[in-house]
Amino acid sequence: MTSLAARYFDGQSSRVHDVAVELLDNRTLRLRGAGIERDEPLEHLRVSPRLARIARTIELADGARLLLDDHPLIDQWFPLHNPLQRWVDRLERHAHAVAASIVVCVLSGAVLFYWGVPWMSDRIAAQLPEQVETRLGEEVLAQLDRFAGLAPSSLDMERQSGLLERFAALKADMPGAENHRLLFRNAAGIGPNALALPGGTVIITDQLVSLVNDDREIDAVLAHELGHQQQHHALRQTLRSSFVIVIAAMFAGDVSSASAVVVAVPTFLLQGHYSREFESEADAFALRTLAERGISPAWFAQAMRTLEAFVSDQGESDDSPGYLSSHPQTRERIDEAEFAGEKFAIEHPELYRERPDYDACAEDGICEDAESEEMDSDEVYECVDDDCERVEPDASLELQ
Amino acid sequence: MTESDDFSLPLAAPPPPPPVPHWPARVQPMPLVEHEFEFSGRGDEYFRIWIVNLALTILSLGIFSAWAKVRTERYFYGNTKLVGVPFEYLAKPLPILLGRIIAVVLFSAYVLAGQFSIGLQLGLALLVAVLAPWLLVRGLMFRARYSSWRGLSFRFVPDYGESYIRFFVLFLPLLASFGLLYPWVKGKQKEFIVDHHRYGTQVFRFLARPGQFYPPYLIAWSVIFAWMFGGAMLFGFGVALLSAGSTSPPPQWIIWAFVVAIYAGYFVVLAFLAAAIANLVYNSTEVGGRRFQSRLKGGRLLWIYASNTVLILVSAGLLIPWAMVRLAQYRASCLSLLARDDFNGIEVRQGQGIDAIAAEVDGLFDIDIGL
Ligand SMILES: [Zn+2]
Repeated sequence: MTSLAARYFDGQSSRVHDVAVELLDNRTLRLRGAGIERDEPLEHLRVSPRLARIARTIELADGARLLLDDHPLIDQWFPLHNPLQRWVDRLERHAHAVAASIVVCVLSGAVLFYWGVPWMSDRIAAQLPEQVETRLGEEVLAQLDRFAGLAPSSLDMERQSGLLERFAALKADMPGAENHRLLFRNAAGIGPNALALPGGTVIITDQLVSLVNDDREIDAVLAHELGHQQQHHALRQTLRSSFVIVIAAMFAGDVSSASAVVVAVPTFLLQGHYSREFESEADAFALRTLAERGISPAWFAQAMRTLEAFVSDQGESDDSPGYLSSHPQTRERIDEAEFAGEKFAIEHPELYRERPDYDACAEDGICEDAESEEMDSDEVYECVDDDCERVEPDASLELQ
Repeated sequence: MTESDDFSLPLAAPPPPPPVPHWPARVQPMPLVEHEFEFSGRGDEYFRIWIVNLALTILSLGIFSAWAKVRTERYFYGNTKLVGVPFEYLAKPLPILLGRIIAVVLFSAYVLAGQFSIGLQLGLALLVAVLAPWLLVRGLMFRARYSSWRGLSFRFVPDYGESYIRFFVLFLPLLASFGLLYPWVKGKQKEFIVDHHRYGTQVFRFLARPGQFYPPYLIAWSVIFAWMFGGAMLFGFGVALLSAGSTSPPPQWIIWAFVVAIYAGYFVVLAFLAAAIANLVYNSTEVGGRRFQSRLKGGRLLWIYASNTVLILVSAGLLIPWAMVRLAQYRASCLSLLARDDFNGIEVRQGQGIDAIAAEVDGLFDIDIGL
C-alpha cells in the first residue's frame, strides 16, 4: 500500500501536522502522524477537484483538512467525486482540446461581433416603440446644439424653404417618412456636413449648402441621409456600440489592471466596420431614390467630388473633420455613383438634362458664348441590352 | 491574492518600524523573520485552463462561467504560497453563478437605459449607489469566508452602518470640497476594509492615518496637471507654427497627438499611483503584530501594464493569461510578511466552530456580486 505525505490542519488552529495518508480496505482513509491517529470512512470525505499542479485538499467531516501534493492515487480513492471538473481537467491537459478551444473562442468572437451584435441590436431596434427613438433623437440634438457648436442657420428663409421643398419631394411616398424633418444649422466647427439623427431628423449645415454648385448635389446628400433614416441606422448603430462596450468590458474585467485601451480599441475598430456597412446601404438607397425621382445618380458622385475638393483645399488628406471623414472610401463610392449615373442615362435618355455633365451648348445648342467645349470622357461603357460593363481604358496598367 | 485591489496601496512614506511586542521578560524574543510570498503559476499552464474554460463558457452560453471563475481563483490562490503553504479558494460555483446573473442584468439595464432615458439611467445608478455599500460588505464577506490558509478561513466582520458612512455619506464632503478630500476618503475606506478583516483570532489593523494618502495623490495630481499644462502649451505653439500665415484650421494629426500624449501621461501616472497606494496600504497593515512589506516599483508596474496592454491587443486577447500571470508574479515577488512566530499558534475565534461559520451563510444573499 502506497502512502502519501500530507499536511494536516485540525480546523481549530493553524498548526501544521505532518501525516502519512493511506487507504485501508478500500473504504477507510488512515492518517498517522505525531499525535494524530484518525481513520475516516471515505464517504465522509470531500476532495477538491484536480487543477494544474496545485495542492489537493481532502476535507474531513469535522472541518479538519488534509493538504497534499497532487497524485494519481487521490482520484483513485474518490472515483465518483467532481465528475464535471474532472472532465474539464482532462480537457485542460489535452493538446487537441486546447486547440479546439482556441478555434471555438476565436470563431465565436468573430461570429459574435460580425453577426451576433448586429443581429441582437437589429432585433431590439425593431421591437422598440417609436417614441424611444424619437426621444433619443431629441437628446442627441440637444447635446449637439449644446456641445458641438451648432448655431441657428444663417440661410435666408427663401433658401431654406426651397431646400425644404426639395426634401419633401425626395421623401414623398416613402413609407413611414411622414415625420422626417430637415433642420438647418450653422456649424463652423464641423464644416460641410449632413447628419441623420435617430427618429427622422436630418441636419444639414450652412457650410454644406453654400459649398455645392448645384442643388441636385444637395438632393444626393439628403437622399443618402434619408437612407440612414429609412433603415434606422442611428438607433441600430447606438445599440451595436452599447453591446460592444458591454462585451469588451466583461472581458477586460477579468484582466483587472489592463487599461481602458483594451476596451476602447476594439470598440473603435468595430464601430468603423459597422458604420461602413451602413454607409453602403445608405448610398445604395440614395442612388435608387435619385433615379426614381428622375435625378441622375451621378449627382451623388458630383457631391462627393465637391466635398473632396473642399477637403484637399484644406490641405489635408482623408482625416479632416466633416462629411468625408465620417464617410470613408470616397473613391469607391464615386465610382459606384458614376456607374449608376451611366445606367440612368441609358435607361432614361429623355432626362439627359439631369446629368451633371449635361452641356447645354453642345447638346441643346443653348450657348451663352460662342465657344463650345468638347466633352471628354475617359471611361467607356459596353452595353449589351441593359447590361452595362465599364471598361477602364488603362485597367491593365492598374492591375499591375 | 491576485485581486489585491481590495488592499491596494502604494508607495509614499517608508513603513514605520514594526511595533515591538511586549514579551514576558523571561522569554527570549524570537527574531523577526521575513517570509516572502511566492507565486508559482505559469503563463502556458494557465493559458490551457483559461482557453478551455472560456470555450466551455461560450458553448454553455455563459452558465459555465461560474465554474471557470472558481477554477481561475483556485489556480491563483493555490499557486500563491506563504511559508510554503498555499492559499485556498473554497467558494462553490452556484452562488457565484447567481451573483453573476444579477450583475449582468443590472449592468445591461444600466447601459441600455442610458441610450433611451437619462432619467432611467440616473435612477438605476442611484439604486446601485444606494445599495453599493451593502453590496461591498457582502462581497468582502464572501471573499474572506472562502479564502483560507492553513485550514483557517479569513473573515470580514460586517458593519453596514460604518460602510454606509465611508462609502456613501463621505461623498458629500468629497463633492463639497471639489474632490480635494479624495485621498482622505480613500484612506478612510481602506482603513474600514482592512480593520474588519480577521484571520482566526488575529485582527487586521490599519496603522496609516487617512492623511497619509495625500502625498501620493498630490504628487500624481501635480504631475498630471503639469503634463497637461505643458502639453497644452506645446499644442498651442505647434498650431501657431503650423498654421502661421494661413487661415485654415490646424491639421487633424496635431489634435490626435495632443490627445494621445495626454492619455499616455495619465497612464504613466496611474501606474506609479497604483504602486504607491498598494505599498502604503500593505505597509500599514498588521495582523496580530505581524507586518506586511510591499516593495512595488512604479516603473516596473508601468512596464508590465503597458506591455500587457500591447500583448493583449496584438493577440486579440489570446495572451490575457500571460498578462495575468505576469502581474500576479510581480505582485507576489514584492510582498512579504514580517513575523516573529512560526504561525502555528493561531486559533479559530472563540466559540466559532465550523458550524458557526456556516450559520453566517444566510442562503439567498451568500452570493458574489461582481460589480
Ligand atoms: Zn452616411
